[in-house]
Amino acid sequence: MTGVTLVNSLSGLLIITSLLVIEVKQPRWSALLYSVQSIILVIIFIVLGYIHQADQLYLWAATAFLTKVVLVPLILYRAMSRVPDEEMPKNTMGPTLTLVMAAIALAVSFIVINQLQLKAAEPFKPALAVSLAHFFFGELCIMTQRNLFKQLLGFCLMENGSALTLALLAYSAPELVEIGLVTDAVFGVVIMVLLGNQIYKNLHTLDTAKLNTLRG
Amino acid sequence: METNYLIWLLLVPLILSLVAFAARWMGRFTRPVAEAAHLVCITVVLVLTLLVIRGVLNSGVVFAMRNWLHVDALGAVFLLIIGLVGFLAGLYSIGYIRHDLETGEFDNNKLSLYYGLFSLFLFTMLLVVTSNNIIMMWVAVEATTLGSAFLVGIYGHYSSLEAAWKYVVICTVGVAFGLYGTILIYSDAVNVMQVPGAAVLWTEIVKYAKDFDPALLKMSFVFVMVGFGTKAGLFPMHAWLPDAHSEAPSPVSAMLSAVLLNCALFIIIRFSIITNQGLGPAFTQTLFLIFGTVSVAAAAFFIFVQRDVKRLLAYSSMENIGLIVLAFGLGGPFGVFAGLLQAVNHSLVKSLMFCTTGNILIKYRSRNLDQVKGMLQVIPFTSLLLICGALALIGTPPFNIFVSKFFIITTGLGTGYTWLMIFCLLLLTVVFAGFLRFIVAAVFGEKPADMVKGEFNWLTLAPVAVLLVLILILGVYMPPQLAALLQGATGVALTGNPAIQSSSFGQLQNFTGLSAGLVQTKAFMASINNLLP
Repeated sequence: MTGVTLVNSLSGLLIITSLLVIEVKQPRWSALLYSVQSIILVIIFIVLGYIHQADQLYLWAATAFLTKVVLVPLILYRAMSRVPDEEMPKNTMGPTLTLVMAAIALAVSFIVINQLQLKAAEPFKPALAVSLAHFFFGELCIMTQRNLFKQLLGFCLMENGSALTLALLAYSAPELVEIGLVTDAVFGVVIMVLLGNQIYKNLHTLDTAKLNTLRG
Repeated sequence: METNYLIWLLLVPLILSLVAFAARWMGRFTRPVAEAAHLVCITVVLVLTLLVIRGVLNSGVVFAMRNWLHVDALGAVFLLIIGLVGFLAGLYSIGYIRHDLETGEFDNNKLSLYYGLFSLFLFTMLLVVTSNNIIMMWVAVEATTLGSAFLVGIYGHYSSLEAAWKYVVICTVGVAFGLYGTILIYSDAVNVMQVPGAAVLWTEIVKYAKDFDPALLKMSFVFVMVGFGTKAGLFPMHAWLPDAHSEAPSPVSAMLSAVLLNCALFIIIRFSIITNQGLGPAFTQTLFLIFGTVSVAAAAFFIFVQRDVKRLLAYSSMENIGLIVLAFGLGGPFGVFAGLLQAVNHSLVKSLMFCTTGNILIKYRSRNLDQVKGMLQVIPFTSLLLICGALALIGTPPFNIFVSKFFIITTGLGTGYTWLMIFCLLLLTVVFAGFLRFIVAAVFGEKPADMVKGEFNWLTLAPVAVLLVLILILGVYMPPQLAALLQGATGVALTGNPAIQSSSFGQLQNFTGLSAGLVQTKAFMASINNLLP
């Protein structure tokens, strides 16, 4: 299996893990599945680093491992562990409809990416389409989940999509850029978890359907 | 020298935010230390802002930190807004937060947190407009959301936490779309320029944008427009705006409306310059016209039905941002100039209005127009400020927004968008009706029986009075330095080249009076027109 085929195949696995993150009933399991997805992302970075002979991608793989595989899932898992399972809000949309919408998002992404002329990334167009689709998967997660920590996971899925796009299209970016993105992603998760904890402590709910007093 | 000023402009609010945070451990000195750090921060930021702007006026552009920081005339306009509004809203903060401390809404810990976050918020917005690195620009705009989220929810009420969560989620998702657009631009820049370190700098990207893939440019600008347009409060991505702006403390609402929205708009303009270099202006102008018009339309009707004072002002921000975007959609030197002038004018008026509603909240403890009545008998000076601010917002002379709105409408008529301008005028009439109803309901009528007459303290009046003076001055006179800055910014927005305006500054003479200023501006615009492809 060539490196290009491996990258495109692993991107397919990203789709499966994203759908599992969205649909799994236990929110703590979502955090663990996000960690699994991030491991796949790290492997993709390493393979791309080997293909392009780009040392930066090995560094990105290391930072992605520390932040996306370990740190972020740990923060989320601990935040969700403080809330009893029976208080966790349920999804608003069934798995069938979620799958249909995800399929539409993926199809649209493939159509859009096919229009672009990207010399360096031509062989990786399937992976690129998957990275774009992750934006829509993340939005799907945010729209269909009432648990505000799972909405946060939607944001994390979008971040993974951005990271994959950056690795496919712009792996030669200065290291400070990747560090800036990763730091921002971690800070984003930390701040949203802090806000989520404050909401749970003061309002005794994680259900975003109950956060609807402000209208008009 | 200006390079050092630029670096200190970013360092000072960052350092002083840490001092303010640390003040919580100083016992009875918490309030004086936090307030002192805050006051020093906003004052030094204002001074350094003016020094950097002077540098831009003299040399056209200021760089720092291996060109990762950069201020041209376009950046200087937005820097002026941040420095000026940051200072006046920050000064107002001191009086407003002291009231919250007295009533028990705030304790010393929350006060220290507030001033620390305010300075941090200022730092992140300064980083947005001074970044030359397009990825760091995105990091900075994301940081503005994260930095201000706790300011929005600082009161800890049900509604404020709800507003904070919506703000964080919607803006973070939106800005993630902006990141995707940024990455697409960067990747094409690397392909074309073959120098990764330079391909991340806006000033370098603009030079090579004409060689970028047109389909990729279109796709990236759509992502940027949707993404950063969410942060700018454009319809239909605006859902967070009325909640966040109404639930935040009033000085923070002023910063959100008058400054933060402009920072997001600034990034959209930066990317539109890149796109225009590659595709010509038609694509971006079409998107600007669409988003601008629907934003004004939606805002007009929301304003008309509002009973909450701060939500009304929030929708007014959406209307004015829509007008600015629409002006950029009209295009050409006049459209861009009018849009930039509207950005400056709106920032001053909106910060005046939010600070005034802060005084209403202090007195009436309510934002509901059913309860806020007879202001003229209770808080007469604030009432006067409110009337003037509302008249300014609806575009009445002799206030500043009349000038920029007039400029936008006449530009639209001059460029052939007659029906669109008639439609806009009808929408502005709806806005006029909404504000008129607001003034009549709040200012006149019978005051509540138990309401004692009297303002809170001079700190909640003086900064607002200064804003009133500024909006009156700008309604009848444009300082030559401001005119030069706006003209330079127009040149950058149209050509991406900061050198365009430096020779034209020589054409400016000191002028007084609006008509003389417009004649000078028209002459300059004609010269810009000749330089366009």
